[in-house]
Amino acid sequence: MIRALGRAATGAVSTIVEAGEELRIHRGRVLLSLVGVAVAICALATVVAAGSIAEQAMREQQERDGGRPATYQIDLSGMSGPLDPATAAPAWETALARHGIEFAARSAQFMTDVQFADGVVSTSIEAVDPDYGPMRRVQPILGEWFADGDAGRLAPAVIVNENFWERLGSPPLETHPTVQFVGAEPRTGVVVGVVENRGQWDTDPWAYLLFDDAEALMAPSPDPMFGGLYVTYAMWLPEGDAEAIASSVVDALELELAGVDVQVSQYRTDYAAYGDDPFAQLKLVIGGVAAVVLLLGALGLLTIALVTVRTRIREIGIRRSFGATAGRVFFSVLMESVVGTFLAGVVGVGISIALVRSPLAAMALNTDDVQDLPGFPVEAAVVGIGAAVLVGALAGLIPALTAVKVKVIDAIRF
Amino acid sequence: MTLVEAHGVGRRVELPDGSRLDILQGVDLVVEEGDRISIVGRSGSGKSTLLNLLGLLDAPTDGELEFQGRDVRRLSSGARDRLRGSEVGFVFQQFNLLPGRTALQNVQTPLLYDRGSGFWQRERLAREMLERVGLGARLEAKPDRLSGGEQQRVAIARALVRKPKLILADEPTGALDLETGAEVMSLIESVADESGAALVTITHDLAIAARSNRHLRLVGGRLEPLDAAPSAPAVPAPGTLASSVDPALDERLTA
Ligand SMILES: Nc1ncnc2c1ncn2[C@@H]1O[C@H](COP(=O)(O)OP(=O)(O)O)[C@@H](O)[C@H]1O
Ligand SMILES: [Mg+2]
Repeated sequence: MIRALGRAATGAVSTIVEAGEELRIHRGRVLLSLVGVAVAICALATVVAAGSIAEQAMREQQERDGGRPATYQIDLSGMSGPLDPATAAPAWETALARHGIEFAARSAQFMTDVQFADGVVSTSIEAVDPDYGPMRRVQPILGEWFADGDAGRLAPAVIVNENFWERLGSPPLETHPTVQFVGAEPRTGVVVGVVENRGQWDTDPWAYLLFDDAEALMAPSPDPMFGGLYVTYAMWLPEGDAEAIASSVVDALELELAGVDVQVSQYRTDYAAYGDDPFAQLKLVIGGVAAVVLLLGALGLLTIALVTVRTRIREIGIRRSFGATAGRVFFSVLMESVVGTFLAGVVGVGISIALVRSPLAAMALNTDDVQDLPGFPVEAAVVGIGAAVLVGALAGLIPALTAVKVKVIDAIRF
Repeated sequence: MTLVEAHGVGRRVELPDGSRLDILQGVDLVVEEGDRISIVGRSGSGKSTLLNLLGLLDAPTDGELEFQGRDVRRLSSGARDRLRGSEVGFVFQQFNLLPGRTALQNVQTPLLYDRGSGFWQRERLAREMLERVGLGARLEAKPDRLSGGEQQRVAIARALVRKPKLILADEPTGALDLETGAEVMSLIESVADESGAALVTITHDLAIAARSNRHLRLVGGRLEPLDAAPSAPAVPAPGTLASSVDPALDERLTA
């Protein structure tokens, strides 16, 4: 048993060794075709990588705007305008708890006056719950997003945008820089994080505050604006039964808010809500181009592999006369092709990585804003190497069959 | 021990025009371990075809052929290939070395098909075998850098590196001059002696034929003994080859 295994293992190793040696002997001949395969694989991997990066960029953009799949928003408005957040809060908490919803965040936008060194500026404030960060992929470039314990601090935690931070004099966060909110009852906030500006058009300072802190900040003031504040209630739900959960949350809210002048409704806001896959067409085009490129590479490889085998009929006959079985000859020719294209695939992917990582590509793909950008998409490397091996196996199949059909006696007679 | 036993073996081929050609007919032959057999015959008499049958490269269309007691026609093609690899060593007239490979690589080739320890020790075994045939200094030489005699010595090392029980030499000296041919034959014989292998040599050269102890000839696809063995089977010294051949043998051969 062990002996048989040992013999099988020796057989496998010797097949690979033989293929490697054959490849080395015929490297001149195969090199040309492998250059073609390497180029095709490089193109394929680059196209897949660029596509994946572009898709990631598009996805993140859409997620920033509409949330990640599946994001549902609840609208709580009555005849006289939006529902007062203080009235809504307990009902919202109860409905979330009852449905075991992990990610949910309220958000509201309002203006407040902030004291900067050069004067008071009316500044936009985004009042959000802590889950807003992961739900919208907000990642501070300095410091941290809000933690759950941040709410209710004496000096509320503030996350500012780059403009805001620069107007504060770009202080290191370790020095706990403060923000002066001026108004009926002035407050001091502490900057715990800095986020990127939203784009080139985003030239004003703005800041995130925790919803509960913002409420406290505004509460003492009799400002009628806060009463009419429009609050967005968003939930990030598992994609499978999001629709059912959202409807059930609406029912629960209606029950909790019975007797209150309010109309409860829900709607989905993430990109996946529109059609099946917004990237399907892009993927199709990219896949088509890659397939054509690879097909051409495979045809070139096949032609050269066939010629190579035909010139080696005598060698195959000699090998057979020294004990090579038909199966051995088949695998050895096939392996030669696969080992070759595998190496070509590695080279092609390597070049592709260099291309995609070059500053030129970053410019072309406009990846500045992509957050989850991997050095090189793993799927592109896997697709590239996988396609190379597959092409090697397919292109090697016909020559391998040709090699098996060699009649030993005819091959070695002269 | 009996290596090969042939009874009434025939080999027939179908020609492109549909007619049949009997290359071999009714061949009876027993090859025992350690035998030294020579087969002579005119060109086209079926010598190579017979050798291919003995070496499991081909199967008979008639009769019975056993290799080490096993019916050749009942062996699977893979089993036949493996048996050939471990038990048979071929030496060809045109050497048939793999071009572009060094002497060492050529001699290692049969060991690539050894599923036992031979594969793992292939380099050492090949080097030892090349040293044995006097080419220890030419390990890295490729065939196009070697003389005919040297190439045939590499081929001999390759044929014998797996210590086969049966060595089949198809006109091994046909492409060599007389003196080199005699040297090559001495080498094959002495290496075969060491491993106790049987040696079947096909030749046109009567001096070469005279070196074996059983003499056969093929006439029109039939194998027959050369009735009188050469009187002096002792190895002739190089240079005296032609004169040592029995004129009667020459007559019987060409008759
Ligand atoms: N596959 C084949 N098809 C047709 N004829 C063949 C085939 N193999 C051998 N022959 C013929 O059979 C005869 C014997 O061939 P061979 O054994 O090579 O002779 P030798 O080695 O004695 O010169 C020759 O005439 C050859 O042309
Ligand atoms: Mg012949």
